Amino acid sequence: MADAPTGTDSSPDRQPLPPTLSPATEPREPRAPAGRRAKKHLSTAVALVAALVPTAVVIGVVVSLVSASDFHNLGWAFFGSKWNSNTQTYGVAIFVVGSFLTAIPALVLSMLIGLGIAIASTSYLPRWITRIIDPCVDFLAGIPSIIYGLWGYLLLAPIFGTLISPWVVNHLGFIPGFSAPSYVYVGGVGLPLSIVVLTLMSLPITTLLIRDALRSVPRDLVESGLALGATRWETVRRISMRHGSRGIWSAAFLGFGRAFGETVAVAMVLGAATAYPTTVFSQTDTMAAFMFDNLDGALATPGELQALAELAILLLAITLVVNVVGRRFVSALYTQEVAGL
Amino acid sequence: MTASVASGPPVLSVQKLRVRAGKRILLDDVDLEFERTSLTAVIGPSGCGKTTFVRSLNRMTEMTPGLKVTGRVDYLGQNIYDPAVDPVLVRRRIGMVFQRPTVFPMSVFENAAFGLRLIREEENEIDRAVTEALQRAGLWDEVKDDLNRSALGLSGGQQQRLCIARALAVQPKVLLMDEPCSALDPAATQRVEATMDRLKQEIVIVLVTHNVGQAARVSDRVAFLHSGRLVEVGVTADILERPREKLTEQFITGRFG
Amino acid sequence: MVTATEGSYVPPPPGAELLRATSLSLRWRVSFDRAIGYLLPLLYLVALLPIAWIVYWVSVHALVTLNWSALTDTSPLDTHSLAVPIISTFYVMLLATVIAVVFGLFGGIATAEFLSERVAGWVRTSANLLAGTPSVVVGYFGYFAFVLYFGWGLNVISGSFTLAFFMLPYLFRTVDLAYTSVPRSIREAAYGQGSRPFQYLLRIATPIAFPQVLNGVFLAMAIGVGETAPLWLTLEQSALVPTGLFQPASFLTGQIFEDYTSGPGTPGIALAFEAAFILLVVVISLNIIVRIISARFRKRVEGLFQ
Repeated sequence: MADAPTGTDSSPDRQPLPPTLSPATEPREPRAPAGRRAKKHLSTAVALVAALVPTAVVIGVVVSLVSASDFHNLGWAFFGSKWNSNTQTYGVAIFVVGSFLTAIPALVLSMLIGLGIAIASTSYLPRWITRIIDPCVDFLAGIPSIIYGLWGYLLLAPIFGTLISPWVVNHLGFIPGFSAPSYVYVGGVGLPLSIVVLTLMSLPITTLLIRDALRSVPRDLVESGLALGATRWETVRRISMRHGSRGIWSAAFLGFGRAFGETVAVAMVLGAATAYPTTVFSQTDTMAAFMFDNLDGALATPGELQALAELAILLLAITLVVNVVGRRFVSALYTQEVAGL
Repeated sequence: MTASVASGPPVLSVQKLRVRAGKRILLDDVDLEFERTSLTAVIGPSGCGKTTFVRSLNRMTEMTPGLKVTGRVDYLGQNIYDPAVDPVLVRRRIGMVFQRPTVFPMSVFENAAFGLRLIREEENEIDRAVTEALQRAGLWDEVKDDLNRSALGLSGGQQQRLCIARALAVQPKVLLMDEPCSALDPAATQRVEATMDRLKQEIVIVLVTHNVGQAARVSDRVAFLHSGRLVEVGVTADILERPREKLTEQFITGRFG
Repeated sequence: MVTATEGSYVPPPPGAELLRATSLSLRWRVSFDRAIGYLLPLLYLVALLPIAWIVYWVSVHALVTLNWSALTDTSPLDTHSLAVPIISTFYVMLLATVIAVVFGLFGGIATAEFLSERVAGWVRTSANLLAGTPSVVVGYFGYFAFVLYFGWGLNVISGSFTLAFFMLPYLFRTVDLAYTSVPRSIREAAYGQGSRPFQYLLRIATPIAFPQVLNGVFLAMAIGVGETAPLWLTLEQSALVPTGLFQPASFLTGQIFEDYTSGPGTPGIALAFEAAFILLVVVISLNIIVRIISARFRKRVEGLFQ
């Protein structure tokens, strides 16, 4: 009776014994108790929701801007150059031009300087030095943009207005666009100052990414170049830069994105003039800075708010394209340092 | 050391070469001469200094900070470590092939032409030299139809032979090879060994290898290093069959290594 | 018979070709390389001088007027005190960080552990897109979504959420990276022993990833505290410390932006400098903390990441 493996035992306090194992069957894994399963489903759901937050936010940004603007203003006038709330014309051309006019020179400068620094760091300077100064250069990225603006507006602007710009007018004034009456440049704010500030702000990105790209060139590849009788410069130019070209392109795109989207610093040092720049020294405005300065005022004027929202969409679109293309190129897509950019 | 029939100094003459990294001695008073065109295999257990040895023959030791080199390495009578000598020139005459195939991200032609472009050689001369180098390296037939294709598309063995061609293009008299076959499969290894076999009649080859069989197959001479010291050197057959030193014998028979 | 004895001329060995820079071209190449070696490092100055200059300049101007009362006096009539903005900034930052951490932590872990590669790729792309969005656009989003659409108005809760969403992508990426870089071997060993995802996460992955996550939080905070646009557009400034979520509040960067055009010698400009100084102190401190954690972390897991 004790070892009858059948379910016919009807004693109330005896559990039915499990079926005998035969070679053809394997023990079935006991199903997890219902409570644990529910918990698993719940936690998976929570995880999924949490993970989708960035996507949701991006979508939210687009949706909010689109609904705010209602495409109220889209039409040829949108691409005109007059922004006048009185006459209800909202043309953004000046700002688009201004954004590019500040960002592109800043990009060129920060790429050149960043290249130089990265090459010096990877090929010319000993490791113990670069270990100290490279993080210092990276710290440029940690300075809040408003402090760049403060420094630019209060300290650099007078220098530009009283020293640099007069010098340029005196010595280079014969070049068209390089000459202007003093009231234009004496304040110091304007294109040149903005470009300088933006260069400094993009510099840590370009330097970091180019440095990463050059550093990822395998050592024996570089040594092969040297073993053929090349100088350090020649190995960098002909081998390393070719090998790291993807990273260098990503530096360009991401650096441009940084300069293009910069808001507060530009708002403080560009002069916020709603006009096309006519000289090298002129004040003008960028998309981001204009948006930042004018949201308050737009609340009073019907129509202007929508127009600003459309401007925001345009800015977002350009920045997104630049960033997507730029990220495509990043070789080390995820490193701890790049995560902070 | 040897009564040389050919006139002039030996191609390469290493005298009392000592390499230190801080307190550690990596190479201890190595003396070795390379007189005629030949292939000398340098063998020894890991860490014995073989790589340091070849790298000191073309001043690549300067790439590693902290290495101090004393002694002489004479190339055709001229000490390459003489301060008046430019390392860039040394490396044209004493070429090097590395463990991994290190082709540059360019076309086959540009790879081979790399060294020639540096010295601003003329186009016709470059064409001729590239063809000759690829032939000497035993790669010509396989790439002649499309020299402009990317070198990265070649197989491992082809890439390594391209590296050899690249080094040959600048007419070196010495070729240093640091375990060139260790990243290759047996078929590719065979091809490279065939190339080495042919080249050893034209230039001096110093081959570092951990493979005693390879040394037996291609080398004229074998040098055995242990803990930075040159223990024994001699004709291949002699060393491998009748080694004089106990250490040599132990290594060859596989008791350590 | 001539013997070559007196002052005999010994021809140089054939190897002497190594001595001569055989051509102008070689001499030029080597000189150029050497010159570059001196010039390029000078470019470091272009980056380093401004940093030193900014920090020095801000500190000098701020420390002239900075004193204890400037930091602590909370009466609303006092135009010389930074205490209110400092405390308000603290509250706003606290709330924003909590929100960002909640979404960023769970989102990052979920992406690293639970999502399929395809979905994870999309999520990561959106995080990158969000990171690249200009701060003013995020500010506009916050304004339209929270201030207008949700109807919260210009107050702490709108500002904190907006700032949180600006900080989110950085946290998200760091957490994602921290958990995905747990060595595969450890992961497989854990699951192979039969542990369930939750246990694995709690017992094994989190202790390993923790320093990086902590770093991510501090970095995000450093970014958040220095931002102006997301808050300026969604938060109304106030002379009082906020006592509830739906109240206005001032903040350090806003203080600077408000006062930077005040003339020299005015209390406004003094506040601007002081605020800038406090900001720098906070940002530098956070950066230092991050470096310390990174160094400790590297030592601890040296054996792990063979």
